[in-house]
Amino acid sequence: MSVLEFEGVHTYYGESHILQGLDLTVEDDEIVALVGRNGVGKTTTLRTALGLTPPRRGTVRFKGEDVTGREPHEIAGGGMGWVPEDRRVFAHLTVAENLRVAAHAAADPDARIGEAYDLFPALERFADKEAGDLSGGQQQMLAIARGMLGDNDLLLVDEPSEGLAPQIVSDVVEALRAASADTTMVLVEQNFRLAMDLADRFYLVDHGVVVEEGDTDGVTSEDERIRRYLTA
Amino acid sequence: MSATALSLGVADPAPLLATGGAADGLRTAVRVLVEGLGKAAVYFTIAVGLTLVFGLMGVLNFAHGAVTMVGAYLGGLVLVLVVGSGTGTLATIGVFFAAMAIVFAVTTAAGSLIELKLIRPIYDRTPTYQILLTFGVSLIIEEVARIVLTLRGIQPDPQWQAPMGTAPDVLLGRTDFLGIAVRRLYLFEVLIGGVVLVAVWLFLTRTLYGLYIRAGSEDTEMVQALGIDVRRAFTVVFGVGTGLAAVGGVLLMWDPIWGPSVLLSIDVLLYAFVVVIIGGLGSFRGTVVAAGIVGIADSVTTWLFTTGVVTFSGLSEVTIFLLLVGMLIVRPQGLYGVEEVGGH
Repeated sequence: MSVLEFEGVHTYYGESHILQGLDLTVEDDEIVALVGRNGVGKTTTLRTALGLTPPRRGTVRFKGEDVTGREPHEIAGGGMGWVPEDRRVFAHLTVAENLRVAAHAAADPDARIGEAYDLFPALERFADKEAGDLSGGQQQMLAIARGMLGDNDLLLVDEPSEGLAPQIVSDVVEALRAASADTTMVLVEQNFRLAMDLADRFYLVDHGVVVEEGDTDGVTSEDERIRRYLTA
Repeated sequence: MSATALSLGVADPAPLLATGGAADGLRTAVRVLVEGLGKAAVYFTIAVGLTLVFGLMGVLNFAHGAVTMVGAYLGGLVLVLVVGSGTGTLATIGVFFAAMAIVFAVTTAAGSLIELKLIRPIYDRTPTYQILLTFGVSLIIEEVARIVLTLRGIQPDPQWQAPMGTAPDVLLGRTDFLGIAVRRLYLFEVLIGGVVLVAVWLFLTRTLYGLYIRAGSEDTEMVQALGIDVRRAFTVVFGVGTGLAAVGGVLLMWDPIWGPSVLLSIDVLLYAFVVVIIGGLGSFRGTVVAAGIVGIADSVTTWLFTTGVVTFSGLSEVTIFLLLVGMLIVRPQGLYGVEEVGGH
């Protein structure tokens, strides 16, 4: 059974038609990358999956169940996590409080938070520090840890390397690899090489529809079928 | 006395200054400070609900003052019905706290119902709809109050005096506080305001719901994306915010400056907005600090007027609104506010 399916999904922001009949499928235990230029609908795809920007037409299925039009908290509560663009940590809450919010549904929240600290030891050192005072890389770690705490079957990760120094990006990549051991992942990433390195399959999105898809093995941004959609 | 001083309504301060030495001046300053803290406690109790509601929900509740007015009347009603001439001081204070609990429970339930049935359907509309709706609710509450009070013949405009008659002697007059004569009622208000402050602080920092509220005040959408039904938190917060506004009304019931009146609705709303804007919309800490600033400014200017240093009767209001204007010019987001709140 597919973890996530989009079937002819049309999503709008006001009158702007962003997703124009997008189809995709994400299978269990794989990492799928969404690539494409800025503004083609990659982030909107994630927001549509989570119900934050519901589609006007088409169907979104999560673990085989039609979740089109459901409230975001219902979809998220069903096992879909989100690591948003710009991290969006709760800046005035401590690291521990950020994780506590995310672990609200866990049977033993403290144990779950302890697991997150095992995976990201730096977060435990800053447990009592306000998240807004962390560096960009530390905030990204916190955002990833927060996304993993909900016992999720699917993690949506949006631009994890954006605005980070190269050495920090490698830490983030390791964190995402660790996260992918337990969960299926959809990754939106501008850095094409990084996306191909992490993902098993990719969808190339342009003007709100999928124009190319396939395995990531051996795919580079120099391939003609890719390059013409990535260059302006 | 100079012509300039006369035109500003400033009387000659020389006699006042001549009457007391440094010790008297210090005692006066402390007395004014305590009275300011009493006023601050009242302003905080009323404004904290307004800022919680805005912080989480992004709703500016123009019916907040009307709820304070209802709280003052309902609290007064309980006191007038229960307290008689033979009721002792402790029993009267006990009834006061019981009235506070009853009013809080009733208005919290009513507030939750208003959120569910009236405000929830318009969350996706522009803030103008929420302002118009809550303003409309405020007008309805005021008019219903006028009708009921007129029909029952209990509204000697502008105040309903009966509840004040139930105030125990121990709260009237002045008492020696650190060698200074201060009004006992202000100490009582400081005590109640302190209890409300600690209770709200504990709720926000020690409960899971408080954590959701603080997180939701920063980013509502992110809270939803973590699987939390933020709309339920909206209902709880709007209910609690409404209940706190009404508790503020109960606190004003015995205050000779305020007392139960329909006009309380708009009067306290203005002060609450000033406190919330100076403190920063949505900031609990800002509300605490701003209530202190406004309360003490009110107390100092009231002292200046009552002692005849300034003869302009509107000094207190003008000063407080000048503080507001100054804050809007210098720091529009308020002392502890952020530029964007709510995320929805």
